[in-house]
Amino acid sequence: MGRITLERVQKKFGDVEVIPPLDLTIEDGEFVVFVGPSGCGKSTLLRLIAGLEDVSGGEIRIDGTAATDLPPAKRGLAMVFQSYALYPHMSVRKNIAFPLKMAGMDEEERRRRVDRAAEVLNLTDYLDRRPGQLSGGQRQRVAIGRAIVREPAAFLFDEPLSNLDAALRVGMRLEISELHERLKTTMIYVTHDQVEAMTMADKIVVLRAGNIEQVGSPIDLYRRPRNLFVAGFIGSPKMNIVGGDLASRHDAAHIGVRPEHLDIVEDGGTFSGKVTVSEHLGSDTFFHVAVPGLDEPMTVRAGGEVGLRHGDTIHLAPQSHQIHRFDDNGLRIA
Amino acid sequence: MATQHSRAAARFMIAPSVILLLAWMLIPLGMTLWFSFLRYNLLMPGANPFVGFENYAYFLSDPTFITSLINTLLLVGGVLIITVVGGIGLAVLLDQPMWGTGIVRIMVISPFFVMPTVSALVWKNMFMNPVNGLFAYVAEVLGVPAFDFLTQAPLASIIGIVSWQWLPFATLILLTAMQSLDSEQLEAAEMDGASALSRFWYIKLPHLARAITVVVLIQTIFLLSIFAEILVTTNGGPGVASTNLTYLVYAESLLRFDVGTGSAGGVVAIILANIVAIFLMRMIGKNLDA
Amino acid sequence: MARAVSNRRMAINTGVAWVLAILIFFPILWTILTSFKTEATAIADPPVFLAFDWTLENYETVQERSNYFRHFMNSVVISVGSTLIGLLIAIPAAWAMAFVPGRQTKNVLMWMLSTKMLPPVGVLVPLYLIFRDYGLLDTRIGLVIVLTLINLPIIVWMLYTYFREIPVDILEAARMDGAGLSSEVLYILTPMAVPGIASTLLLNIILAWNEAFWTLNLTAANAAPLTAFIASYSSPEGLFYAKLSAASTMAIAPILVMGWFSQRQLVRGLTFGAVK
Repeated sequence: MGRITLERVQKKFGDVEVIPPLDLTIEDGEFVVFVGPSGCGKSTLLRLIAGLEDVSGGEIRIDGTAATDLPPAKRGLAMVFQSYALYPHMSVRKNIAFPLKMAGMDEEERRRRVDRAAEVLNLTDYLDRRPGQLSGGQRQRVAIGRAIVREPAAFLFDEPLSNLDAALRVGMRLEISELHERLKTTMIYVTHDQVEAMTMADKIVVLRAGNIEQVGSPIDLYRRPRNLFVAGFIGSPKMNIVGGDLASRHDAAHIGVRPEHLDIVEDGGTFSGKVTVSEHLGSDTFFHVAVPGLDEPMTVRAGGEVGLRHGDTIHLAPQSHQIHRFDDNGLRIA
Repeated sequence: MATQHSRAAARFMIAPSVILLLAWMLIPLGMTLWFSFLRYNLLMPGANPFVGFENYAYFLSDPTFITSLINTLLLVGGVLIITVVGGIGLAVLLDQPMWGTGIVRIMVISPFFVMPTVSALVWKNMFMNPVNGLFAYVAEVLGVPAFDFLTQAPLASIIGIVSWQWLPFATLILLTAMQSLDSEQLEAAEMDGASALSRFWYIKLPHLARAITVVVLIQTIFLLSIFAEILVTTNGGPGVASTNLTYLVYAESLLRFDVGTGSAGGVVAIILANIVAIFLMRMIGKNLDA
Repeated sequence: MARAVSNRRMAINTGVAWVLAILIFFPILWTILTSFKTEATAIADPPVFLAFDWTLENYETVQERSNYFRHFMNSVVISVGSTLIGLLIAIPAAWAMAFVPGRQTKNVLMWMLSTKMLPPVGVLVPLYLIFRDYGLLDTRIGLVIVLTLINLPIIVWMLYTYFREIPVDILEAARMDGAGLSSEVLYILTPMAVPGIASTLLLNIILAWNEAFWTLNLTAANAAPLTAFIASYSSPEGLFYAKLSAASTMAIAPILVMGWFSQRQLVRGLTFGAVK
């Protein structure tokens, strides 16, 4: 079981409030991703749950029991660190077995569990090596192995993929997702990468300056961002945001249209401009279009075969039911 | 970052070091300061009346003080120039590829590990002795009269001995700093057409600037307190020709047993050292933030 | 990448470096050689370099006449003793400052360093009087106390710079894995800190062994370590070159070997981490 609730949880460093009081419930078995730009408090929030930082106020409950004052070791949670934090002086086997040893488990059982975890994570051949002799991906796996052997109530991941190269990151992303499917254990995952958030999460928590901006499933956040910040943060490439006259025509202070919701039309359209850069990815093409009167170029997604070039004039029409409207405060207008 | 509990434990763990050093600093310092205002001579028991700044006036107006101050500055300055210039040269040389780097390195740094009394006596007797010393033999071979180093040029001789002891320190630190220089920087400079000399002048030397400052400051702290080398070679003489401030205070305090004047001299030495210390502390403090 | 260098360059570098290195090392080499000569050979004119009858008699004489072993043991007790006590006091402090830094940590560290800047002569008089009044003059315990205190800042600093390199993540991982404070110290911290502690130990023994202000001023015949004992060769015994050399060789040999092993640590320790 791993249901975690935060009630009015708050964190101050001295006089600086990094996390204003917030409430959050994480259901058992959920894969929750905390996402936000760097410095938004997502890692701090994770460390509060882990018990590596004291809360300045509020209550943390794990499966209904008060955990606010429990030391990290007593909370029954396992954590995978950004740096992996493997013990450099221990072999892989000893690293993975360490939490079991701390739990006072007998050696026979330890060996059995480590072997099983190593098998799951393809580490069997490396059990006698030291972390220093492993590649980044293998170290990552050892860190995960160390977390899963103790069968925790929940896993905490602190930007676990940020030290891996791009190809490896995609692979590990899949492995962690599969692991969640198999274990069905609660996972809390911190990242600044909205692609990781969108692909892995059951539930995304978007944070900015310690505040929860929106909580919801990936598709919710994509379809109905609650405010301009979430609208800009979720989705890649970013949503185009336009203010001024064009927005007031839609009774809004700002309107937003995602690149994939702009159609290229022969003439007319809402926006016209010149292509500044075209990025051909094969499957898709992204055009950056300088539209007179707008501060920033607009981004448009087109099919892979569209052959416009720098300097070509282009006309764009947003799909009418895909226009997001926001008021003066940046909040979504229903 | 930490939790409440660990903070309390941390304070408890730091306390012994802080208390000990605080006691070590305050008690003797306070006593030195107090004594410096008393007429206090161990050879004349009885009342030790408060005399205000009399000891300072006496100590500072003594011509020996001026001589010792000049000697101190010459000693520190001379050793610094020799060790820094020599250290840079050796560091550049040892940074080059060669056969037997390890052994060369070991030989070069060895003098630093020789205790001051040993190095002073070995130099004094086996090298600088005007009759049996090796230098006397060299002079004989060259057909020039033997030079009595410690009598005719006592301070310069001591500067030589101390420089021999500290050259390895400067070399080692400058070499370490040199090796931390990114070789791509040098390659970039080479691509930009810089000659070996320009590379040294514009890339290596600026890179060493920080290490040179550290060497100068740290050596100064130690060199201001040179004592054993003087004690076993010249006893500050002939006359006061090789007396530095440290030796003068020692002589006042433990040879003439004039506690009052000795303490006043001690306070002067502390002030002098602190001027250097402030700069050194700033440098190290900056590094702590990095 | 080190670049390939022509053999000629290598040969020139090597030649110049070896000549300079041998010149710098020569006084030590000469001392060691002389310690195996008879007094007559030691002052022979012209000097004899290697072709002499090697003898151990100087070492025997030095021991017989002046109980050399006693002073050697004084040096061992004083340097090792002050270092171990210093480590005992400094390890918890350095640990706390490295892993539980507070707002004052930096100030405390800098202040500790400032005590090291105090010229010893500034506190010579009071310390001498305190030692005299409490019967500590010429005792091993007295010197252990003084050397512990003067080297404590260096020990704390060195340990601090080593501890700070241990990633906090790893300690937190141990805490998450269920390790309490004692397990954390026993299984994680100690094994990772051992190299740093060992270097600190080594460097500090070297510094304490060679300390020659307090050892000269606070000891006489009884507790004098080798620094002070050798000073007694100042005159006229210093003219017995072979014996002076034997006494000197024994005094510097152990430290020379330790020093060779701790070159890197030396830089770090003596520059308080400012140069690595």
